[in-house]
Amino acid sequence: MSSSTQPFSFPLKPFSISPRLALAAGLVALFVAVPLIYIFLRALGANPEDWQRLLQTRLWRLMGNTLALVAAVTSGTLVIGVGMAWLTERTDLPGRKAWRWMLALPLAIPAYIGAILHLALLRPRGGIIPQWLETTFGFPVPTPSPLGFWGAAFILTAFMFPYVYLLSGAAFRSQHAALEEAARALGRTPWQTFWQVTLPAMRPGLLAGALLVTLDVLAEYGTVALLRYETFSSAIFAQLYGRYDRSAASILSGVLVSLAMLVLWAEIQLQGQARFTQMEGNWRPAPLAPLGGWKFPALLLVSVVVSISLLIPLLVLFLWSIQAVLDPQTLAQVVRTGSQGFARFAWNSLWTSALAALLAVTLSLPVARLSARYPSRLSRLLARLCQVGYAIPGVVIALSLVLLVNRFFPILYATPLLVVIAYVLRHMPQAVRASESALGQLSASLEEASRTLGRTSLQTLFQVTLPLILPGLLAGGALVFLTSLKELPATLLLRPAGFDTLAVRVWMWASDGFYIQAAPAALLLVLVSAFPLSFLLRREQMFR
Amino acid sequence: MFRLRTTLLILAVGLAACAPAAPQAASTPVAATEPATVTSAPNLPEPTATETPAPVEISGSLTIYSGRSEALIQPVLDAFQAKYPKVEILLKAGSNSAMANALIEEQANPQADVFITTEMFTAQSLAQKGIFQSYLPAGAEALPAEFVSAERAWVGLTRRARVIMYNADLVTPEELPTSIFDLTDPKWKGQVAAAGSTNGGMQAQVAAMRKLIGEEATAEWLKGLIANEVTFFGGHTDVRKAVGAGEFKLGLVNHYYYHLQKAEGSNVGVIYPDQGEGQIGLFSNITAAAIVKGAKNLPAAQALLDFLVSPEGQKLFAEGNYEYPLLPGVALREGVAPLETFRLAEIDIPSTALDLDATFKLIETVGLP
Repeated sequence: MSSSTQPFSFPLKPFSISPRLALAAGLVALFVAVPLIYIFLRALGANPEDWQRLLQTRLWRLMGNTLALVAAVTSGTLVIGVGMAWLTERTDLPGRKAWRWMLALPLAIPAYIGAILHLALLRPRGGIIPQWLETTFGFPVPTPSPLGFWGAAFILTAFMFPYVYLLSGAAFRSQHAALEEAARALGRTPWQTFWQVTLPAMRPGLLAGALLVTLDVLAEYGTVALLRYETFSSAIFAQLYGRYDRSAASILSGVLVSLAMLVLWAEIQLQGQARFTQMEGNWRPAPLAPLGGWKFPALLLVSVVVSISLLIPLLVLFLWSIQAVLDPQTLAQVVRTGSQGFARFAWNSLWTSALAALLAVTLSLPVARLSARYPSRLSRLLARLCQVGYAIPGVVIALSLVLLVNRFFPILYATPLLVVIAYVLRHMPQAVRASESALGQLSASLEEASRTLGRTSLQTLFQVTLPLILPGLLAGGALVFLTSLKELPATLLLRPAGFDTLAVRVWMWASDGFYIQAAPAALLLVLVSAFPLSFLLRREQMFR
Repeated sequence: MFRLRTTLLILAVGLAACAPAAPQAASTPVAATEPATVTSAPNLPEPTATETPAPVEISGSLTIYSGRSEALIQPVLDAFQAKYPKVEILLKAGSNSAMANALIEEQANPQADVFITTEMFTAQSLAQKGIFQSYLPAGAEALPAEFVSAERAWVGLTRRARVIMYNADLVTPEELPTSIFDLTDPKWKGQVAAAGSTNGGMQAQVAAMRKLIGEEATAEWLKGLIANEVTFFGGHTDVRKAVGAGEFKLGLVNHYYYHLQKAEGSNVGVIYPDQGEGQIGLFSNITAAAIVKGAKNLPAAQALLDFLVSPEGQKLFAEGNYEYPLLPGVALREGVAPLETFRLAEIDIPSTALDLDATFKLIETVGLP
């Protein structure tokens, strides 16, 4: 994925920058940036009185809550992600290959589904575990509350650590053995070596992982709402859902997006330097550390992590789904709710996400091409503008689109297309990054040869470039598809009447407390997500 | 073997239900499919002898925005659908205010045909903004006049009382609260659950209290609840389940949540609060329905409203959801205490609706979650 320069490229000035390409890229960047700019304008243009009121009442508390959660989840994911990556990449832990998959697959489980399960299992007295304890022991046994800050931090860590795991796993693998050998030769203990050499060398990768987690936490709605911990995202949602005052929602959105933009800016700065070491020359992998007597504690630790974030959720969803299918009343609700059938909302999930993936990848092409082939300040700016989707949480995209579309494109309003547009805006960065990296790895000389042999630029695109970069584009598409499937708040707010997706159904049922009814849809959502995810994972060195 | 077969059967039925029902719509003209056989509840005293007239052409899609939660409105819509099989119902259920927001935003570009709400302040407030078109459903003359808007912009459907439910395993009869103001008593600290500020029932209660006891006292009460560590859920289903499970001793809910929880086998009880001398009386909410101005399927929208206030529709609310039907003569579900036995807090709907903004400001100032 590194965007290193091509092996046999030479400085060339093949064709001057194509105005058509620049125009297309510019339009894409504009499309992506407009909702963001609009929200800023609304926030800045809001009544000063509203600003005053929010500053006095909620703003600082929300800021504190949000930042505390970000800090907790980021450090949690770093510890678990790096720890697990070290165990599977740098030790002789038995069954490393299987563990790798099980540690990455939680990415297929949306955190809010984790939160639903967490709540159903652990709710004080009402939960499955406390009730089981009570019937076993005959008296209520105190259990930790699943709610609030710790509940939210726990769930988000459990389902977001794979980001850090994957990035640090790759970093551990690519490290040159000589690095640690030198440290050891210079008298450092293994422990010192780890902290003073190994880890610092991975810093860019870790930081990138942590920043991705941060952006996700800032955008998370479902988990914090269910576990009743108020952050910016959930406050904005409540504002849109339970009030008439759009201006407060705009202000909160403006602040949230500014926060996210800061993080995104830092993340973009890190792009490109995400890899310290190069896999070339006399590179050889660092040797595996023997765990010795620590083998069993290590296995236990990995099992606990995998159980919490993958096995228990899957098992419970599976059991509930069976229960739902066996109970005629529940089944009747699942199979047909009003005008909506199960197949219909599963289909809705699929086609909206697939269309979003297709659109995002297509739109990413001019931007990626411009920045890969004609590096300039302009092309870099456009490529970066296309990254802002990362920093616009679903609730904010929804708010922005409702206001914008209703005003300027009423024809799009209340159509499923609006949902697709929200997905494209939000997940465009993933497509742009994938396309950029795919194009970056393709030598420009191939395209030049094609042009020299008389093909037009369009012919070259379809006959040479696209076939060669297709795997990279598919990866980008798979990523957009995966994240769109899981998207909740924007879908909830933008869907037209009678248009449900798997995520929406799961949410509607579970937030009314009908967990068993929600299980089949949740299980299907997870299983469908597992396909693009495993396709993506297979592309990585770690999973070959 | 048997199980496998049923599963397959169910799958087949499910798929059939999901298949787009395109072709049949065009061919047969309607009329014949109108089942005169579905005449409602034989043992009901028919208050108005209006038999629904055979409709002209009731088909096409009908978009409904509902502030009533999906689980509570779906059975009624299913019954309507059974009566008019050619109508495709598109339901969007959410909070009253979310739906109201959408209606306001869509005023120039209306999407919904019918709005159903859990309290009439929102309906009245939207009516004042000119969101609805007037329509008096067939048989609505029989409804108490105060529950049909003067401009016929909305029509009341049912009434629900704001009660305190309790877990009878955890609370003794002697210590029970008698007033909603007892909920701020420190002895209940951390033991009370209620719906939060996005919930229509709660919003309406705050609006009504503001009107009755004034801004200050209402703010005081809300702050008292917050200080008493009341847990605010997104909706009442959560509250009733939590009280039923013993997670909380008390819950501030609509009366039917008590009945629904009891029907699930929980040992719960109910208090109709504030009945004593000098107390403010029992709060209640009126659910309402209205037809949106610019509705694309007017015949179906009108048929739905007719159905909702008909004895048949009213009976569904009373039987299925333990609510108080507004149509006189429709029997309550067994076990539901008649409202006549209680002293009700009387609130003027139009003037309270005018003050809705102030209510939201109050909710935000006190920081109700």
